[in-house]
Amino acid sequence: MTLTATPPPAGAGTTAPGTSTSPTAATLWRRGRGVLAAALLVLVVAALTVLATGTNAPGAPLDPRDATPDGGRALAEILGDRGVRVERVSGIEEIMRLDGPDTQILLTDTSHLSTSDVTRLVQGRSDLLIAGPVAALSRLAPEARPKAQAVARSREPGCALPAAVRAGSVYLGGIAFTTPRGAVGCYPSDDGPTLVRTTGARTVTVTGDNGFMSNRRLAEDGNAALAINLAGAKPVLAWVVEPDREQGGTGTPGSGRATLGELIPAQVPWAVVQLGVALLLAALWRGRRLGPVVAERLPVAVRAAETVEGRGRLYRARRARDRAAATLRAATAARIAPRLGLAGDAGPDSIIAATALRTGQDPRWVHSVMYGPTPADDAGLVALAGHLDTLERQVREP
Amino acid sequence: MALTGRAALIAMIGAVAVLLAPRPAYAVLGLLLVLAALVALDLLLAGPVRPLRFRRGGERRMRLGETAEIELIVENPGRRRVRGVLRDAWPPSAGAAPRRLPLDVPAGERRRLIVRLTPTRRGDREAVAVTVRSLGPLGVAARQGSHRVPWSVRVLPPFLSRKHLPARLSRLRELEGRHPALIRGQGTEFDSLREYVPGDDVRSIDWRATARRSDVMVRTWRPERDRRVLIVLDTGRTSAGRVGTAPLLQPPGTPGPPRDAAGWPRLDWSMDAALLLAALATRAGDRVDFLAHDRTVRAWTSGNSRTETLTALVNAMAPLDAELVESDAESMVAAVLSRARHRCLVVLLTDLNPAAMDEGLLPVLPQLATRHLVLVAAVADPRVAAMAAGRGSAESVYDAAAAEHLRAERARLTARLRRHGCEVVDALPDDLAPSLADAYLTLKSTGRL
Repeated sequence: MTLTATPPPAGAGTTAPGTSTSPTAATLWRRGRGVLAAALLVLVVAALTVLATGTNAPGAPLDPRDATPDGGRALAEILGDRGVRVERVSGIEEIMRLDGPDTQILLTDTSHLSTSDVTRLVQGRSDLLIAGPVAALSRLAPEARPKAQAVARSREPGCALPAAVRAGSVYLGGIAFTTPRGAVGCYPSDDGPTLVRTTGARTVTVTGDNGFMSNRRLAEDGNAALAINLAGAKPVLAWVVEPDREQGGTGTPGSGRATLGELIPAQVPWAVVQLGVALLLAALWRGRRLGPVVAERLPVAVRAAETVEGRGRLYRARRARDRAAATLRAATAARIAPRLGLAGDAGPDSIIAATALRTGQDPRWVHSVMYGPTPADDAGLVALAGHLDTLERQVREP
Repeated sequence: MALTGRAALIAMIGAVAVLLAPRPAYAVLGLLLVLAALVALDLLLAGPVRPLRFRRGGERRMRLGETAEIELIVENPGRRRVRGVLRDAWPPSAGAAPRRLPLDVPAGERRRLIVRLTPTRRGDREAVAVTVRSLGPLGVAARQGSHRVPWSVRVLPPFLSRKHLPARLSRLRELEGRHPALIRGQGTEFDSLREYVPGDDVRSIDWRATARRSDVMVRTWRPERDRRVLIVLDTGRTSAGRVGTAPLLQPPGTPGPPRDAAGWPRLDWSMDAALLLAALATRAGDRVDFLAHDRTVRAWTSGNSRTETLTALVNAMAPLDAELVESDAESMVAAVLSRARHRCLVVLLTDLNPAAMDEGLLPVLPQLATRHLVLVAAVADPRVAAMAAGRGSAESVYDAAAAEHLRAERARLTARLRRHGCEVVDALPDDLAPSLADAYLTLKSTGRL
């Protein structure tokens, strides 16, 4: 007998108190403390790494705070060391607050400024340093008209502008401009200069490209010199950047264009957070299993007839009419021989003769059915099976 | 621990409150704290699961197809009421129902729960774990824990062929000459002389005895008794194939093989036939031993008294399953020869598989057949018979040819076995048990045991 563990006899009391299989708090702590320590270690290392490398605020290209290769932090730091007050501004109000004869405004992108903002910039008194192709170029510097594309590469000054002459060759390109009368054009490409300065009531400097100011290129050629000479021309530099995204709707100029986010009440995101909590609780509720999953060894489920079906399919796939016909004929012969009073190993002739005698059929037909040629096609095989059945029935019921 | 739907519901309603709150961030934080407090309170006040005590009772063995009741007594020795749900986990094929039971045990009391098992397969089924989820008074959270409360139920073969037993027993009584019809017993062993009563067969009158006494005496015969029958069950790979349709209706949704493969393994049909034979043979006064073998001996019972034979047999059969290995006929014959010293009827329940038999049984059969009378019984596949009758399309005729091929091979094999002096019973699943019983009765009446 292999019956397991008989139950304690009735009256002997309950099962031992140690039947519980759930882990106790102490077990959980012992089991989990290793994982906990590892997680804590990973967190500490990550925190230390972040602290050691310092903050690195990512921003738009040529942001004075951005230390990535595309940023402009290197130039901003150098200018600061040289006594230039670098102000990082984005809104038009901020820009116009600094407006004055001692200020130069550095524009690398004007896509966030509206038409009216640009108009106010045009009316201002500050110098303008427009670096790279900006959308509002035609209004800010109407004299410097773009003429052609120019490949960015190292170019020679080729003009009398002191800032350019002192800097020497610079990595510049982007746009080649027409040189209006009374303006200075430097760093010429085949189609025209890539740096144009007009002087009048205010000095406006336009470069075809701003790559030379970026952290990546500042150390090459005379890039740093040119950037410092241009941007450090005035004691105050208003460095215009795109507004930070976190500033939200309030800082966005043009109060008439509220975004979808501004129109949703502040309660809604928090309600969504609360719904998330509800969802999490529902998941915990439904996901908690009542007891263990019970595995079981299942028996094999193979139909015994599978081999026979496989053989039938093989016959069919190979169109094995010869084998199929021979098997069917042999089976019929084996079945009718005893009914004809013949031994199991009786020869074809005696079987044919006895069958023809019993059924009254033509012996030649019986021969062709029982021992004739292999059917030429599947239809012939089906017909042969029918004939064999007929013959067998007639032998059984003459 | 476990949370309930109420906790999620509170959080969901809280989302509406957050929508209306003037300071939503604080509302979310506050709701979280409230929920945490509710859950903590509930966990604190819920009845503890760990000190619960369990006791089991009920059936230890049952036939396949029956439903057994297992009782589970839950005792709560703590000071707090335990209210919640309980799950008694059994393997899927034990068919335990209901899946979860409501539980409410006041402090210091006990409650009796009933779990019904309707197994879908033979074998031993063991209880896995009892899990209790004890709800707190607020119904927000619950304590949960499992206990191991061992119990095992042995699911015995159903012995469906016992419906054939009365007819065979009446034939047996005819053989023994004890039948009310008063026809001459066909046994071959001289039993006794008794006085003639009208209706007795006149051919059985013993004239010599009649001359000695004044009365007319008749001889009575009875079949030989106290012969040995050894049932050998092949549990190798050929026994795993499923044949026919399972005679027990499987409740829908039970785990197991898909419907189209839902036949019974050859092994189970063989067991059914073996049980009928054993029941018949013990009534006929023979001793029945049982051996299950594939590569090694899987089960062996011997020397049981007549009343215990059937019980011992079903017990030995219950945990057997077909192994996916080739049977080792040589070691099987060795096992039989070492166990059966005297001449006996060896009933070999296997499959007439030409490939397996050619290399396995046939070379070693003479060793067995010289010392014992061998009867080979095999289950034929009704699907093969249906395929052999297929006509009408090329596909079914090719299938018919394949089926005829197999039948011819089986017939050749049967002939070879008969040449070795073996008896062969090759019958469809439903007919195997009565055919085997009839073959046994024929052997007995002809005195070949």
